[in-house]
Amino acid sequence: MPEGSRFSIARTVLLTVWGLFCLLPVIFFASIALRPRNEIIAPRPIYFPTISIETWAKIWDEWPIMHYFMNSVIAVSGSVAICLVLGIPAAYSLARYQYKGREDIGFYILSTKMMAPAAVAIPIFFLFRAMGLLDTVWALMLVYAAMNLSIVVWIIRSYMIDIPHEIEDAARTDGASDLRILWSIIIPMCLPGIITAAVIAAIFAMNEYLFTLIIASKNAYPLSVALANFSGGSDGIIYNAIALVAFLAFFPALLLVILIQNHLSRGLTMGAVKG
Amino acid sequence: MTDAVLPTPALRMARRRSPFRRKAFPYLLVAPAVVYLLAITLYPGIFALWRSFYQGRFKLEFVGFQNYASLFGDEAFWHSLYNTLVIGGVTLAVEFAIAMTLAALVYRDPFVRGWRIIFLLPMLFMPSAVAYLWKLLFNDGRVISDLLIRVGLADSNIDFMGSSWLARGVLVVTDVWQWTPFLFIIFVAALQGQDKEIEEAARLDGARWGQIFFSISLPLMRPVIAIALVLRGIDILTMFASPHIITQGAPAGDTETVSYFIYRTGFKSFEFGYASAASVVVLILTVVLAQSFVRRFFRSGRE
Repeated sequence: MPEGSRFSIARTVLLTVWGLFCLLPVIFFASIALRPRNEIIAPRPIYFPTISIETWAKIWDEWPIMHYFMNSVIAVSGSVAICLVLGIPAAYSLARYQYKGREDIGFYILSTKMMAPAAVAIPIFFLFRAMGLLDTVWALMLVYAAMNLSIVVWIIRSYMIDIPHEIEDAARTDGASDLRILWSIIIPMCLPGIITAAVIAAIFAMNEYLFTLIIASKNAYPLSVALANFSGGSDGIIYNAIALVAFLAFFPALLLVILIQNHLSRGLTMGAVKG
Repeated sequence: MTDAVLPTPALRMARRRSPFRRKAFPYLLVAPAVVYLLAITLYPGIFALWRSFYQGRFKLEFVGFQNYASLFGDEAFWHSLYNTLVIGGVTLAVEFAIAMTLAALVYRDPFVRGWRIIFLLPMLFMPSAVAYLWKLLFNDGRVISDLLIRVGLADSNIDFMGSSWLARGVLVVTDVWQWTPFLFIIFVAALQGQDKEIEEAARLDGARWGQIFFSISLPLMRPVIAIALVLRGIDILTMFASPHIITQGAPAGDTETVSYFIYRTGFKSFEFGYASAASVVVLILTVVLAQSFVRRFFRSGRE
């Protein structure tokens, strides 16, 4: 960092400007959730609206928001559970064993992250239609898990590599089996990595839009797609309901991210950047 | 005599488990994940390929390569590829420039945690919600126009959906607002992870801050930058929520991304064969890209 007061002022100004650019839309969005409908789309925008939570009761009556919220919770947590059950053993295998094809398997898993969702949307739609799973949270759960499995495997693998071999060797000398070592030594020691992977997978699943749009058609709406349907006839798009649902998803995400904030960069890069 | 030899741990292990089981064990651990992913990648690939040779919604009619022929002759498809690259390229460049500047300004700041929480807030909203937020700000609520009029940069309401470059700009701004923090967080972590002493030494040798940053810190960050840009690039190239919610391709298809093209032909016009042909093309492109990028940049994490 260069010294000098001119620079330090310029620096503070720049950071503040970007901070405001991040914050002001969020504050405006929050005010949208709290204002009556006639103050949302006005001839001129209203920056200081009448704050009221009266409209909330109406929104709550009009749409089964709790139902949508529970759909999100079930689909997201189920998908994270699938990711962990499949991903932890896979990560362990990739991190700890030498065998033929290990690199190829690891890179195959990683490359599924590169798939464009739109390119597989049509086959996925027909697959779930054939299975009778369209418009169910189960289909969402399966898709979210597939989407996040690569991330989960690679994040956890990166944390497992960091565990010194000596600890396992000692346990092995004492006659512990490989699965036993995984369960009582490796998993507890890389718990931060597992939690990081779970949080990031949960947030990505919560955000998913394209697959959700084609799978869910009413009953299975989670929050991410439910809000795209808050429009009614003459009312047009009902922005305060959208804003309300947006914050309903925002706060859990915020809590989760604060929980893993020191591992965030490592999680977002699938384990490639430590620190 | 043999009884006198105490079995070493290694011997005990070898006795307990047959060589075959020991060899198969790591494969068994990784197999469930691989099978699951094959079901969701290989199957769709094969299905899309098969479906791309047929036309019709209910009664399928074999048409050979006709879908591909019309796809490659379809200006809308090429246009969507062009839009994806233009919108994506600009978005990625802007996000990179801002994220790197902010990271460089903040990484030795004692309040770096505070800045980081503020900067990452947009990332925590669902992209569909963010799309509606900016649709409201730019279009339905006319907030941006109003602000521009107030500071004297515009005379009247701007119709952001009326011009292709403005509409593309809206998509860029929406993505930049939400996802710049993704790169910022990674860059800050990478900069913080670098050895302070190298910077100190360079400073004692009389190097200016700019020299240190551009000749030492930045080159050291190259692998991190590559990974971050690849990950962000993939997401940008598959951008879907904001075109679907904000522009729906308007005006005249100038904001239609490839993802939106497939969605529109498949799920709006129900030309599944045609959309499958586009899917196959995109799948091939992504497989090629994935092969070249993944192996190149993800080596660093290896044992």
